[in-house]
Amino acid sequence: MSSDTTAMEPGRERDIALAGEYVLGVLPAAERSAAERRMATDGSFAAMVESWQSDLAVLDEHFAPENVPPAIAARIERRLFGDEVAQSAGLWGSLAFWRGLTLASVLVAAGLAVTISGIVAPTGDSAPVLIADLAGENAPIGLVAHFNSGNNTIHIVPAAMQDDGGHSLELWAVPGDGVPRSLGLVPPDGGLIAIDRSQADELGQGVTLAVSLEPSGGSPTGSPTGPVLVAGALQ
Amino acid sequence: MSTIASDDELGQMISRIAMGDRAAFSSLYKTTSPKLFGVCLRILRQQAQAEDALQEIYVKIWRRAASFAAGKAAPMAWLVTIARNHCIDVIRARRPDPVDIDDAPAVADEKPDPEAAAVSAGEGRRIDMCLEELDTDRANAVVSAYVEGYSYQELAEEHGVPLNTMRTWLRRSLIKLKECLQR
Repeated sequence: MSSDTTAMEPGRERDIALAGEYVLGVLPAAERSAAERRMATDGSFAAMVESWQSDLAVLDEHFAPENVPPAIAARIERRLFGDEVAQSAGLWGSLAFWRGLTLASVLVAAGLAVTISGIVAPTGDSAPVLIADLAGENAPIGLVAHFNSGNNTIHIVPAAMQDDGGHSLELWAVPGDGVPRSLGLVPPDGGLIAIDRSQADELGQGVTLAVSLEPSGGSPTGSPTGPVLVAGALQ
Repeated sequence: MSTIASDDELGQMISRIAMGDRAAFSSLYKTTSPKLFGVCLRILRQQAQAEDALQEIYVKIWRRAASFAAGKAAPMAWLVTIARNHCIDVIRARRPDPVDIDDAPAVADEKPDPEAAAVSAGEGRRIDMCLEELDTDRANAVVSAYVEGYSYQELAEEHGVPLNTMRTWLRRSLIKLKECLQR
């Protein structure tokens, strides 16, 4: 808009004010819904709303990040993917199977029969990738964990676990000092776990990764409290 | 447990989510949920409601990812808009606040100061410069409405003015603000 158009037409002014009120959020519920209906059919009004959203986005810096309770992520995934996860889980996802395992702690995990495969890091990825084959004596199949030190992520495949509402799988690192550090919960459908840089710095060749069965939301104590299901060393 | 991601990285995550990539969704959640939870707590002011809202917001993000137009909206601003809209819907439903908006005149009460327009500012800071052209309490009303999710009734109480006066103030302030932003 050119600099000499400081005055707006009254009808346009009214719409601009209404679009601004909508974006600020001050409108009562009924007017708010009416504004949304209008956005769906009136492109010019919708553009005014988008313009305000863009103008006011700088104010987003007033929202300080807050700690999110860890259980929420699993609730969201269960809502979005619950049925599909249940269908694909099979024996591997049966909690009865997990409960059938009797291993007691990460210290025991160190003595597990650990199979180490010769999987080569994916090519075309310049960041160093370490791989741990996670297995347990009584586990019919294992997990493979890819640790990417380039972006501090651990990718776990496959990790199909149907949560019955009461349990989570938690991933641990057991570095040289033997004290397990939590790396976070294994998402029900596998996938990426982002870890802190300080945690990533402790991971390297020979460090053991282990997965334990914990109360929903993870260990309440910061140390493993449930049975260790699978474990293996990063290679 | 969170990582800092650039707008480019966030945009790529959202694009991958639009294709049904759950790993990207998990990454986006880890990266952005503390900020969006901050929005929920600020506006809803109750832990349990904020937790419920955060779930709904990420369900919406998963379902609406395909409507995100990379390059048009900044990814973080897009996410915060979804979060704010959801939280405001919740509190407006919780606290009915009947106001007939047609009662309020929408006329700017004075001409903008042409000198102020000469002040240069980065595009992102332009809103700050334009807010400074408003009286302090009116600029504060705009900011607190956006950040706290205040209704007209709450704004009127906070500023100690009748509801109609508050409504007239805010609408005039918005028109002045837009005139400044468009210069």
